[in-house]
Amino acid sequence: MTQQQKTPLERQYGLLGVMLIAPTVLVFCAVIVYPLVSAIYLSLFSIYTPTLKGDWVGLDNYAELLSGSEFWSSLWNNIIWTVGTLTLQIVFGVGMALLLHQNLWFRSLARSLILFPYFVSTVVAVLVWRWLFNDLYGILNHLVIFSGLSEMPLDWLGSMPNAMLSVIFVGAWKYFPFVVIAVLARLQTIPEQLYEAARIDGAGPISRFIDVTLPQLRDVLVVIIMLRAIWDFKEFDLIYLLTGGGPVISTQTLPLLVYKEAFALNRMGMASAYAVVMMAIMLVFMIAYIRRTGRADS
Amino acid sequence: MTHATISDRIRNVKISRRAALAGMGASAAMMAGPSQLRAQDTTTLRWWSPQSSPEQLSAYNFQIKKFEEMNPGIKVVFEKTSDEGYQPQLAAAFASGEVPNIVTHLPSFAVSDYWSNGLLEPFNDVIAAVGPEKYYDGANAIYEIDKGQFAGSGIGNSAANMLWLRKDLLQEANIDKAPETWDELRSACKAMQKGGIYGAPLPYAKNSMTTLTIIGFIHLAGGQVFSPDLDMALDSQATRDALEFYRSMRELCPPGATNYSWGESLTAFVSGATATGIYTGRALINVNKQNPPIADHVTCVTYPTISKDVASWTFNDFPSMFIPKAAKNMEATKAFAAFLYDPEGYIQQLHAAPGHVLPVLKTIAQDSRYQDNDIIKKYSSEVETMSAAAAAGHNLGWETPKHKPNVKAGAIVGSGVFAEMVQRVVLNNDNIDTVIGDTAKAIEGIMKG
Repeated sequence: MTQQQKTPLERQYGLLGVMLIAPTVLVFCAVIVYPLVSAIYLSLFSIYTPTLKGDWVGLDNYAELLSGSEFWSSLWNNIIWTVGTLTLQIVFGVGMALLLHQNLWFRSLARSLILFPYFVSTVVAVLVWRWLFNDLYGILNHLVIFSGLSEMPLDWLGSMPNAMLSVIFVGAWKYFPFVVIAVLARLQTIPEQLYEAARIDGAGPISRFIDVTLPQLRDVLVVIIMLRAIWDFKEFDLIYLLTGGGPVISTQTLPLLVYKEAFALNRMGMASAYAVVMMAIMLVFMIAYIRRTGRADS
Repeated sequence: MTHATISDRIRNVKISRRAALAGMGASAAMMAGPSQLRAQDTTTLRWWSPQSSPEQLSAYNFQIKKFEEMNPGIKVVFEKTSDEGYQPQLAAAFASGEVPNIVTHLPSFAVSDYWSNGLLEPFNDVIAAVGPEKYYDGANAIYEIDKGQFAGSGIGNSAANMLWLRKDLLQEANIDKAPETWDELRSACKAMQKGGIYGAPLPYAKNSMTTLTIIGFIHLAGGQVFSPDLDMALDSQATRDALEFYRSMRELCPPGATNYSWGESLTAFVSGATATGIYTGRALINVNKQNPPIADHVTCVTYPTISKDVASWTFNDFPSMFIPKAAKNMEATKAFAAFLYDPEGYIQQLHAAPGHVLPVLKTIAQDSRYQDNDIIKKYSSEVETMSAAAAAGHNLGWETPKHKPNVKAGAIVGSGVFAEMVQRVVLNNDNIDTVIGDTAKAIEGIMKG
């Protein structure tokens, strides 16, 4: 087949297209491709962070990473944190959205206030929670002792499993409003006729929730779970500020390990290797998300 | 050198011809530009320190204001860092080239680490401007890592592991003297732990305080981390004893001590939640300001040892001052560094937390203006004890006078391996021998790295 000769106008349109897309491509390269390639490149060196000088070590960083126990325990902590906090976020979020969907007299105020944890700065939120968890002055320990659950204050953040449970709970408190917003928006678009039909068929509140509400929420919940899984997996500040990864490394997730390697141990190359592996793991979530949203679009 | 002499030297900061030409060029460019940009003519110096209580900030502002008045066109900006956060912040600053001009109050071992990597400007000019004869003898020896070259200088001394006691609680418990050994300390803490008051606020978290505390305990048990030639000496009976003592004190500390750092530990003693404390002289001003009812009952001694045969060992951070090599406006920076020792401002800085940072210049310690402070007068015996302890103090960068400077000490402390060692033994109940072996291996890795 012979290629059809392009007219000058078509060639000009082609050039215009390239020119129009060029800024986007350049920005994409600067903010996505360059850091990505840099991270992969750095991971092949042994680099002292403050000087950024180092020697080529090839894949040694990856070999050390995969053969060491710290990576696997941090990955496991990461999975426990992500699954734990995400589950609570979904449960709290859907529950609160259903409540706020009811015709309550304080609904408008409650809908505004519920967003508070999501909007408050993580540093402020953590300071407040650390104060609540405080062994000597924290209200949680006062309640525990007052209610007779324990004679001594509980060590919420310094011993296991309390530390992981506390971090998961605070994470759920901080981020469940995102689920509330998304689910509430979807709830408001479910046709009332579906519920009327279900009622006529004799469905009770639980049946209506399982057979009408949940199927209607499925698409939005899938997107929320994908997004929040990605965001929670790479959560750093909340965990770092609450426990610093301790006790020992019991709440140390991969982002904390990357930070520790880069700035506590000054091993930027090793930190980059951890970051690259972490990125590869997150790629699974991203591909699932892209496929899901792509299918929804089509 | 008198106060006026230092001031005179500072007042006339010399600018090189190249800098002047560059400045003129920049000025011309600014004149041509919008008027809002002209403020950039000012030379800005950035000053970092982890010591930033309100009283200290007030003293710093006094020093800054005075320096700026003497040097029109120079602006000094103070930026807070923290004991736990300085290392990552400085690592990022060095890596990006956006370094502060001057950094103060970091432990001396941090300075040696940066110096050994070629990141610092020699401090000789500043020491010369201050007057080497004014320092206590050997005060700058720890900074002379390369012969004749000073990586920094001390801005003070500290006795970080003093044992703070409540005389009233000791009396109530029928204890007539301060504990001198670990057994006596444990017994005293047990006797005083009642009515919502815990025995001690030892830290068990993964942070620098836990690290410095266990290093101190190893020495208080008669051991050391490295031999004088910096060979690993961690695997010893002293380390085992130190860890056993640390573990035995857990039941005498608040449950949340697993998350304690310097601030929480100090607050626990100052608020009266614990009968003893472990800290520098900052306890004095905090008790007087925040809990006056116990102010007449607090005192301090050097931390007890495993037995009376073992000499006490005080952890002196040697709060430092240094200048990153990549700092801009080097001449003005050095002038400002020297100015920080100017008696009027320096004394105000020391008075911001009397006994916490002790003077590094003997001329200041003898100065009547320094002595004229209510806290220093009221607790003269305690201040004297701390001063003597700090003067004989050491840290991981220089464990004993026989030791070589350890330029990797900052990296070892920053890595948290010692704190992890404590947590594994105390919180996880891991086998002590295994933990010590793992820790020694990790430290050896850092030493080789």
